[in-house]
Amino acid sequence: MLLLSKIALGFGCTVLVAGGYVMRDGVMHISVDEYRPGGDHVHLHLPASLLPMIAHFVPQRDCARALREARDVLPAAKVAVLELHKYPDAEFADIWDGDEHAQIRTRGGKLQIDVESPRENVHLSLPVAALRDFLDELESRAPDN
Amino acid sequence: MMERVRKTHRLSRSFMTAALALLFAVLLGVPLSGGAAYAAQSASASQESKTDRWLHVRVDCTDGKGEKVRINVPVEMAEKVLGAVNHDRLQGGRIRIHAAEVHGVDLRAILDAVRTSKDGEFVTVQSREDNVRVAKRSGFLLINVDKKEAGRDHVEIRVPMKVVDALVSAGKDELDIVAALRVLSREGDTELVSVKDDRNTVHVWLDAKSGSTD
Repeated sequence: MLLLSKIALGFGCTVLVAGGYVMRDGVMHISVDEYRPGGDHVHLHLPASLLPMIAHFVPQRDCARALREARDVLPAAKVAVLELHKYPDAEFADIWDGDEHAQIRTRGGKLQIDVESPRENVHLSLPVAALRDFLDELESRAPDN
Repeated sequence: MMERVRKTHRLSRSFMTAALALLFAVLLGVPLSGGAAYAAQSASASQESKTDRWLHVRVDCTDGKGEKVRINVPVEMAEKVLGAVNHDRLQGGRIRIHAAEVHGVDLRAILDAVRTSKDGEFVTVQSREDNVRVAKRSGFLLINVDKKEAGRDHVEIRVPMKVVDALVSAGKDELDIVAALRVLSREGDTELVSVKDDRNTVHVWLDAKSGSTD
């Protein structure tokens, strides 16, 4: 009985440590609702630490061109993300255009981008720390020339 | 023997309690090490952001679909981000301007003349279409344009002279945006731009609030 509980405890702790590592950056939330017949409804809650991993596994040839074009902008994007840490709860942009509404803000250390319109709703919530790791990963994969 | 079993039991019980606490933390979605670091960072960030200056842009359009735009940018953030951009004409926070874009006018010489002169009105143009007034008063460069027809636009630009100085502090064909922002961040609450016509209002100002109020 004692041996069994030790095994269970060991297994449980491994799961907890692994879970804790995966969840260290919090959770990112992606939600897309298309209001048309056959429209997509995607709701994802994923550990944010997966984001740099996803960037890591995108084939180099597929992202090389995009990264080459973004190379000039990446350092500025990194600086912006570093600065976002100082503003954990702030409204940066709020735009209404008739029945369309877009917001960019930070809430509890997460960057939130919300776009609402009669045709579709898109909500993206991303921990700033994960975004920084993601940009680091992109920068490391950007070709030199 | 019994004492050893009791000790092991006590140890495994406290270990189980710790494990359960950890499990709850994970289930509740609390970022673990990141969470503690984030909390500390947020606390210091909120302390730090208390002194920040924010640049606000508010656009209200009453015609068509009634567009509204609210942009709030920390000046320090804008300063750092622009300083990191090296793309096309914007390099390290400086924007290159060509002489052709200012119609051959030596912008630096004009601004230098304005800076060194006493307070007063420099340009007054009154025509059938509009009235234009450029003046310097109490350390501010003031530009007013009043259109008499078609929408009756009223443009009011009010820029601290220190900011103008910083803007032209770079080379002859460059405007130093970052230097201007740095000086601007040291200014108090300032109204910078106000544009009003029949249908649109544009308002740009600087203060210590993180959001723009309607």
